[in-house]
Amino acid sequence: MSARRTPARRGGHALVLPPLDRGLLGVTLGLLAFGLVMVGSASLATADHAFGDPFHYLFRDLLALALALPAGALAYGVPPQRWQRHGTLLLFLGIGGLVLVLVPGLGHGANGATRWIRLGPLNLQASEFMKLFAVIYVSDYLVRRKEEVTHYLSGFLNPLLLVSLACALIMAQPDFGTTAVILATVLGLLFLGGAPLWQFAALLGLTLGALAALVLTADYRLRRITAFVDPWEHVYGAGYQLTQALIAFGRGHWTGVGLGNGIQKQFYLPEAHTDFIMAVIGEEFGLPGSAAVILAFAFITWKAFAIARRARARDQEFSAYLAQGIGLWLGLQGFVNMGVNMGLLPTKGLTLPFLSYGSNSLIMACMAMGILLRIDHEQRVAGPGSGGERGPWAR
Amino acid sequence: MSRRQRKARARHAPEPDYARRQALVLGLLLVGFALLLGRAFERQVLEHEFLLEQGQRRYLRDLPLPAHRGQILDRHGEPLAVSTPMDDIWADPRHLRPDHPLIPELAGLLDLTPEALRQRLREAAGRGFVYLRHAVRPEISARIAALARRQRISGWLGRERTYRRFYPAGEVTAQVVGLTDTDEHGIAGLEKSYDTLLAGHAGLRRVIRDAQHRILAEVEQVRPARNGRDLRLTLDRRIQFLAYRELKRTVREHRAQGGSAVVLDARNGDILALVNQPAYNPNDRRHLTAKGLRNRAVTDRFEPGSTMKPLVMASALDAGRVRPDTPIDTDPGYLKVGRNLVRDHRNYGLLDATSVLTKSSNVGITRIALEFPPQDLWQTFHRLGLGQVPASGLPGETAGVLPAWQGWGRFEQATHAFGYGLSLSTLQLARAYTAVAGDGRLLPVRLVAGQDAAAPERVFSAATARTLRRMLETVTGPGGTATRAAIPGFRVAGKTGTVKKVVNGRYARRRYQALFVGLVPASDPRLVMAVMIDDPRGKAYYGGLVAAPLFARVMAGALRLLGVAPDALDDAGGRLARAEVSP
Repeated sequence: MSARRTPARRGGHALVLPPLDRGLLGVTLGLLAFGLVMVGSASLATADHAFGDPFHYLFRDLLALALALPAGALAYGVPPQRWQRHGTLLLFLGIGGLVLVLVPGLGHGANGATRWIRLGPLNLQASEFMKLFAVIYVSDYLVRRKEEVTHYLSGFLNPLLLVSLACALIMAQPDFGTTAVILATVLGLLFLGGAPLWQFAALLGLTLGALAALVLTADYRLRRITAFVDPWEHVYGAGYQLTQALIAFGRGHWTGVGLGNGIQKQFYLPEAHTDFIMAVIGEEFGLPGSAAVILAFAFITWKAFAIARRARARDQEFSAYLAQGIGLWLGLQGFVNMGVNMGLLPTKGLTLPFLSYGSNSLIMACMAMGILLRIDHEQRVAGPGSGGERGPWAR
Repeated sequence: MSRRQRKARARHAPEPDYARRQALVLGLLLVGFALLLGRAFERQVLEHEFLLEQGQRRYLRDLPLPAHRGQILDRHGEPLAVSTPMDDIWADPRHLRPDHPLIPELAGLLDLTPEALRQRLREAAGRGFVYLRHAVRPEISARIAALARRQRISGWLGRERTYRRFYPAGEVTAQVVGLTDTDEHGIAGLEKSYDTLLAGHAGLRRVIRDAQHRILAEVEQVRPARNGRDLRLTLDRRIQFLAYRELKRTVREHRAQGGSAVVLDARNGDILALVNQPAYNPNDRRHLTAKGLRNRAVTDRFEPGSTMKPLVMASALDAGRVRPDTPIDTDPGYLKVGRNLVRDHRNYGLLDATSVLTKSSNVGITRIALEFPPQDLWQTFHRLGLGQVPASGLPGETAGVLPAWQGWGRFEQATHAFGYGLSLSTLQLARAYTAVAGDGRLLPVRLVAGQDAAAPERVFSAATARTLRRMLETVTGPGGTATRAAIPGFRVAGKTGTVKKVVNGRYARRRYQALFVGLVPASDPRLVMAVMIDDPRGKAYYGGLVAAPLFARVMAGALRLLGVAPDALDDAGGRLARAEVSP
């Protein structure tokens, strides 16, 4: 079966890379390597204190990478049409997983939230999978129901209802950050898919209203919001994490205090190796470090949209939406995480793709990147100008 | 609307501009990233100073650099007060909760009951810091620290170095050396009067701490720690021990209320021993009492009684009014002075000046004293240090009472001559006799070695002092009042005193104070010792029976310790021979 053959074997000889975007691959690998180093730096002290092993998190992050890179390669080996064919199935698979998380006894979690299903040595985080599955489903929907989407309210509401169901389940964990990213990504895709502006505007308004209601009904979210507006008013309460993160950035200044020399990660900044790894980067590598990461995410977003544009030019509509969806997802999640770190957005739990500790987040980000590279690959092997959805490996 | 109609309308609707929409979304995202870049610049460069300061407020801490208090040493450098390193144990009650599984083990190490420890944590609930126990021995605190490390709660349970005062000589030097409070400030004795010299001054260092209180790095030493200076005393710990042991024994044997004794170096006024009963153990403060804290030898005054007679005699000798063999008639054992009567124990009949001292005749000394103009006698007493603080450096010294001579009637003059109506401390009594022990000059007393002292002041001529010593030797000889003060191999000069005790301003019935003051060796005195036993309730209460034996035992030991050569070898041989015959 040709579709199962790895791209590497298709090349003339084993050492030559298959046709893909080397810049995108390089930036991704760079972020992954940098993330590994920073997870180590951010967690040495806390891991030693909590587990008596300073390399506890570093070792596990290395293991996660050992899973994430093959997962990315595997995703690269799957032609877009396969994802398209199983889009709806994947969505329901994801929803099923989210239901299982909420079943008492199956779901595990921390800090008052239920996030994972234990599967032997692995912790499956259904909400992470949901991000990719929602993008695939909506991309397929936009192609299948193009007419409906561009002209009718139903074409807009149907996918939103399904995605909202998933989001409701994620909110039940509760995981506000992931919900926001998925909803924003799907809405963005619907906009890109040609949904009439008035429908879009109305629903966007409704969604924002719903989000606002959620914020207002749960007290701790409201406190988080007010804390972000002026964290120095709440230094020992809701604003604690943010002030510690801001101090980390401030200490970084132009040049940073140097790798491993950060103070804020020494028990001052909670979640330094996960949600607030950007603050540690800012402290230890200064403005150049922060800027490099921001630019890397801007580059990935821009690349994803460039790939999408080329795919649309070849009438590979599904691939175009998929690339846009991935770009939106990674870009939004990166933007939100870094915005939270710098006090630009209210504090919510979200990992920084490719960098933060967390095997599910790493695996899904790598798979998304594999798919993106695959879409680019399809264009390269098809040669300039040739159109049609059918690539060389499609049946 | 039918499905067909809808489709027809749809065909008329304009095709969405996908490229423009994509450009818009990408543009928004890129604007977002640009905002992030701006924000990063703002936080990292523009707000750098503010955030750095905020951070420093959280992780910079000024911690004390402990400095230890100076030692107090005896004349040979033996420690009498030392600061030993100890640790205060603290915890963070927000994490170390009363129900923590480690509580029983921790309580065991802290020598507390688990319930007491829980109570302490409950009381501090909500706070971030509480001392669990002060001054824990370092070997115990090391085990607590190891436990905290093992259980990974080092951030909630730690130790802080402090110093705890320890007094190796314990109760023996209790009132002299004194005490410090828990903050190591002197509150009694020399610890109090020399606090500024002894006190260490803690330094300050600025460190970076993590949120678990652990020190990551030292930034700078704001102020170096300055240890306190040592204080070397003139005390000889061996003589002090000896004097204390014998005083304690005497007070117990005679069921006395208390007592004090002072040993001076007869050549320079150095205080070699200064002991009190009752005393206390300064290393265990649970049983402190005001009685025990009182340094009676310098703070309590008493009427010196017959111990004043030799000083009156010296005055008379010095003025040429009497010689040792001048006859003095004490018949019939009493003497009318004004409307009052001065009595002896019995009628001694015709005595000479020497035997007035030997027998301690009130009548005899009254006859001599009444020959003086009052101001001359007052002058002598004043020159001997009565009514003036001895300035040894100990806190709370009494000056004693020496009434002004203008108020003296003849009877007052007489009673002063045999030691009533005026008062002094044990230290003052011993000091007064330095004028007899040396060449007639009163020596300043000194407790702190190397301290500048006032020049000795002449009270009598050297010949008078020599003559008086010979006369006082008869007191410890056969027929004297203090045969028990005799020390084999040494000539001992001394004088007993037994005074009625003043209670609530009047002389109490059958309550006495037994005194003895003496000099050895009498030929060339090295030591002066004064003893005061307060209210002996046993059968004996005479100074010669209560205080003199104590004097003999302490002096015999001290002379041996100091390697003083015997000055009565021939005589000693005779006495020793006698001792062998009659066990």
